[in-house]
Amino acid sequence: MEITANSEDGSLILIKQGAEARVFESTFVGRRCVVKERFSKKYRHPSLDSKITLKRLNAEARCMTKARRLGVSTPVLYAVDPVQHTLTFEYVEGPSVKDIFLEFGLHGIMEEQLEDIALQIGNAIAKLHDGGLIHGDLTTSNMLIRSGKNQLVLIDFGLSFTSTLPEDKAVDLYVLERALLSLHSSCGNVMDRILSAYRKSSKQWSSTLNKLAQVRQRGRKRTMVG
Amino acid sequence: MKVFEMSNGNTLSLSLFTEVTNSKELLDSMQAGTLEPEAAFLNASLIPDVFPVLAAAHKTLIAKSRESLTTRTPHSELVYNYSGSKHITESLKRCGIADSSNYVLAARFNASPDEMEAVGKLINGKEIDLDELESRANQAQIQKHYKISSLELGISSLADAITCRIAARDTL
Repeated sequence: MEITANSEDGSLILIKQGAEARVFESTFVGRRCVVKERFSKKYRHPSLDSKITLKRLNAEARCMTKARRLGVSTPVLYAVDPVQHTLTFEYVEGPSVKDIFLEFGLHGIMEEQLEDIALQIGNAIAKLHDGGLIHGDLTTSNMLIRSGKNQLVLIDFGLSFTSTLPEDKAVDLYVLERALLSLHSSCGNVMDRILSAYRKSSKQWSSTLNKLAQVRQRGRKRTMVG
Repeated sequence: MKVFEMSNGNTLSLSLFTEVTNSKELLDSMQAGTLEPEAAFLNASLIPDVFPVLAAAHKTLIAKSRESLTTRTPHSELVYNYSGSKHITESLKRCGIADSSNYVLAARFNASPDEMEAVGKLINGKEIDLDELESRANQAQIQKHYKISSLELGISSLADAITCRIAARDTL
């Protein structure tokens, strides 16, 4: 008889704290994992608060697994705890695209790697959008590159939702464009490369990119005049 | 057999058997509630790796600690959780054993070595190493049961795809 020493000591190490959730590192039956806890907002009415928290927790788990079904790599979901409002998922080893691009800004661009990453980003977003899934928070810090495999992994589906409207897809892309522009302008026009991969990969590229042109004119929010 | 340490000092013991000849008896005594010691029997052809079983076990232990089991015992709950579906009868039928099963994974929570030996004695079959799970799994059957497309397998292992479904079941 053998006993595998994978005791779960349950120790949580805080990695990041956001406005909606805290992210910890821990272990889950022997594997390194990330625990995302949505905390309650004291300014909300308690019953409304627990309803909203649970709804968003479930939506995030659903969208993460839906993305996988569409062929886009996301961390493996290990557990959902509706009582403690936590999601437990795989710890992905590797740098964020943000760190890689910032490194390019400092020490020069590795053309081949940049092209590969842009291609993967365009393909991944196209798959999500064609499957009717909007990520909602596409930034370079929500994209990781898995070490060894060089595979793009999308994280943080906390703002994701399902929609087939060109408007929602265009805004999704626009958010990424703004993020790239403000943080990684030294990398050249990465967005063009991403969009050209998107165009090749998405079946509905034309209506989305037309909409994107409109969104660029007016910004992310629709003007509600009259 | 192998013992896995779970949260809060609980353990899960697993033994894998092939060429099992008495699954009908096992099923009958399990349904009559006379199985001694109590254990879970899983259809091992749906199991490509131990990890999804551990994820299902983790879920079971949490439900048990909150006294919110959906089924009658932790062991039936383990089978139900492993199925990734909400249909209890169907889950037990597909992921548990049937009259004709000959390839079975036996599981018991917090088992002493003696108890696990007793479980092994209940089963007429040949015990094999857990490492054989991967090569003996029925991929077509798994993909059909869990609705895993080849698109998803391009970015994920079979075991990871199953784990996601087990974890996300109650969010759907």
